[in-house]
Amino acid sequence: MTVEDVKRVDKGSALMLANEAVVRGALEADVKVVAFYPGSPTSEILDTFGEVLDHFKDYKMQIAANEKVALETVAGASMAGQRSFTSMKSVGMNVASDSMYSIAYTGLNAGCVCLIADDPYAHSSQSEQDGRYFGMTAYVPMIEPCTAQEALDMTKWAFEISEKHKTLVIIRTTTRVNHQRGMVNLEKLERTPFKKNKWKDVKGQYFTVGSVARAHKAKLLEKSAAIQSDFEKTNFNFIVPGDGNVGILTAGVNFLHAKEAMQNLEIKLPIFKLGTLFPLPEKKISEYLKSLSTLIVIEELTPYLETQIAAIAKSVNPSLNIIGKKSGHFSEMLEYNVSIVEKVLAEVLDKKPSIDYDAVLSKAEGLKDILPERPPIFCPGCPHRGTLWSFRQALQQLRIRDDIVFNNDIGCYSMAFLPPNEFSDSMLAMGASLGISAGMEMSLDDKVIAMVGDSTLYHAALPGIVNLIHHNSNVTLFVLDNSVTAMTGQQFNPNSPFDAGGQPARKINMEKLFEALGADSITIIDPYETRDCIGPIKEAIEADGFNVIISRRECALYGDRLKKQAGEKIIPSENVKDTCRGIYACVKEFYCPAITIDEADGKMIIQQDLCDGCLECRQVCPVDAPQHMEVGK
Amino acid sequence: MTETGKTFNIMFAGVGGQGLMLLSAILGKAAVDTGLRVMTGEQHGLSQRQGSIYVHFRIGDPISPLIPYGRADMMIAMEASEALRYIEYLKEDGVVIMSNRIMPSVTETERVVLDKQKKTKYLTVEQIVERLKQVTKNVVLLDSLALAIQAGNERTENSVLIGATAACKDFPIPAEEVRKAVLALVPPKTVDANSKAFDLGRDAGGACLES
Ligand SMILES: Cc1ncc(C[n+]2csc(CCOP(=O)(O)OP(=O)(O)O)c2C)c(N)n1
Repeated sequence: MTVEDVKRVDKGSALMLANEAVVRGALEADVKVVAFYPGSPTSEILDTFGEVLDHFKDYKMQIAANEKVALETVAGASMAGQRSFTSMKSVGMNVASDSMYSIAYTGLNAGCVCLIADDPYAHSSQSEQDGRYFGMTAYVPMIEPCTAQEALDMTKWAFEISEKHKTLVIIRTTTRVNHQRGMVNLEKLERTPFKKNKWKDVKGQYFTVGSVARAHKAKLLEKSAAIQSDFEKTNFNFIVPGDGNVGILTAGVNFLHAKEAMQNLEIKLPIFKLGTLFPLPEKKISEYLKSLSTLIVIEELTPYLETQIAAIAKSVNPSLNIIGKKSGHFSEMLEYNVSIVEKVLAEVLDKKPSIDYDAVLSKAEGLKDILPERPPIFCPGCPHRGTLWSFRQALQQLRIRDDIVFNNDIGCYSMAFLPPNEFSDSMLAMGASLGISAGMEMSLDDKVIAMVGDSTLYHAALPGIVNLIHHNSNVTLFVLDNSVTAMTGQQFNPNSPFDAGGQPARKINMEKLFEALGADSITIIDPYETRDCIGPIKEAIEADGFNVIISRRECALYGDRLKKQAGEKIIPSENVKDTCRGIYACVKEFYCPAITIDEADGKMIIQQDLCDGCLECRQVCPVDAPQHMEVGK
Repeated sequence: MTETGKTFNIMFAGVGGQGLMLLSAILGKAAVDTGLRVMTGEQHGLSQRQGSIYVHFRIGDPISPLIPYGRADMMIAMEASEALRYIEYLKEDGVVIMSNRIMPSVTETERVVLDKQKKTKYLTVEQIVERLKQVTKNVVLLDSLALAIQAGNERTENSVLIGATAACKDFPIPAEEVRKAVLALVPPKTVDANSKAFDLGRDAGGACLES
């Protein structure tokens, strides 16, 4: 399928996910070192690089412990003369940005590109952060593609800018670009063998502080000006000519929404499509603004472009009427689509939308009133379901549900805030549960409990843990050891004996780590032995000091894949109806999607094709009704 | 060909784990091999099973990756309730190709068991179809599992649905190209069963749309 197209040597066209097109672009640019920490909507970039690693064998790849390490890794490679690439989700750049701002000052050597993906509507993120300000505030050039084709072309171009100006280049995308599949033209793929350099041949000086920093800053401003003058000329900033003096200015996927909306409305306004978000091609924009009486600025999230355009308009066309967020036409919320854009264009031009979208939506809403929602849920066989069930039981048995505070963290287990668990007092950002716990532990007369996954543990939780232990804090920590970074697609992490593409790696010994840090107790539980987990959890919660519970069982999706590779079958379970007394603990307390009710007799039934055979439901059942299929036969 | 210039829009809907992405890849290959342009807007991200998922699949001359509301020529639903979940995308009298399979959500199951009077029942396919019929008369309801079993492999439900899709007279890709793409992308051992499933789906779909 499409990874085959990523590997193709010859020219041609292919249907590709934009994330795959980015990989192809980097490969066409002869990238030599890549490093990532996964995060939606960029994870397929990591996954695709991993999948073709063994085929090419001419670039190096690591799954880094977090985004900061990933960015530093590719910056280090660039300093060492190797073209390098990383990508991360919007909030990933928050983690990486400390180094990013310094890298901007020192500059780099070989082409170095970082893609960051914003997520308007927070489909799979904890905030709708607008990452466009990173470019401007760090003086790092930032570009934005709108299609799979542009994703490929701009990735290659980013390497050129980076190398020419010796700077990091950021490609900014949004979910609808990353997860868009489209036709792309592939160039001939010409890779060179990987070759290590000698430092003396490539070396530069990469430090910044005080007077050195001030000198860097002066140079950085010059560099920005030079890049801006390149951006005035690039074809990635272009104007689609149109009729009249009402024009559009936009970037990214909104360019596509706007074009389709105009087609629907049978109008043809001029459009300025920006490919560079920083520096902006101010001269080119000025010329465009001079030709207009009204400008419609279409961008999701904050009025990043609108504010800057308004400032430019002030000097070149003060009477320009700007339609955007400040005028109340567009929201700072929402992910945009054709209908949102079409409605505004219609309003401004005093036309009617091609379809009464509001009527369509309200009719649909009426029709859907019978539709049960389908909330996100743990997969069948997920170990987190068992861990959280025994955690709840432990609290109930100790009668301390109202005397604890539970700080959750980022991963599949974040879903503890949803039914049937519906608890989690905080859930902010990767690793945040530990620092929050430190503050609460000083301030509250309650037991403080935190929870992290294995990937989160090594990503950003360690400093918080060191801090808690160092300060003799009374905190109980759950570590959910499911072998992989589950939520983003089961990538390997420092808790795995593997790295990207299945390369061998050293698994960090979690117990020894906690031992060395001085944890007061370390208890390992198996969430599939769900009932047996309750006792040890109670003990760890009641004990003073820093007590760790490691709940160890691989992610069900990962486990199933391992079974499949080993040729093992998954044996589903069945509910023995003669034993079942219709207590429904399996339904009310457990929420396994394989569990439904037989309306004929009101007894639980297990959907064979969904069941993972984990038998956690048997553990939850007071009368042990569920059992493996074979047992009964 | 259709409303939006030369673009044919299909909304895929289903539940995580049902193989929606493979289905989209198959039609993508079929379209490209026929020389048609394709663009999709896909839902990736949280990797849990059993969540609601969709793909906006556009053939011809699409511009945006997302189908505007009311402009999908066709909806292919691998799970019945998911057809209704994305109904705002279907144009009036667009074609719905849907499986009669329902995978109840856990919250629905909970409501059913919590009702001591036992009056709360699961949503039925009939209820769903009744709602869909308020937007379109062209609903092709398939017992995809039964047809897949008849084809010799219960995992060929997707090929049944694709077969029915290819039977639709407005569908822009020739049926034989679609079949070729199916057979190229399914596991080699299942080629025969998938080919049969495709035929069974095509016959069933064709019969529905004529009547
Ligand atoms: C800074 C940052 N980087 C990446 C992500 C994306 N992300 C969300 S959940 C998650 C996985 C966490 O893995 P783990 O803690 O092991 O939990 P699991 O999903 O395996 O249960 C990641 C990487 C994020 N939310 N924030």
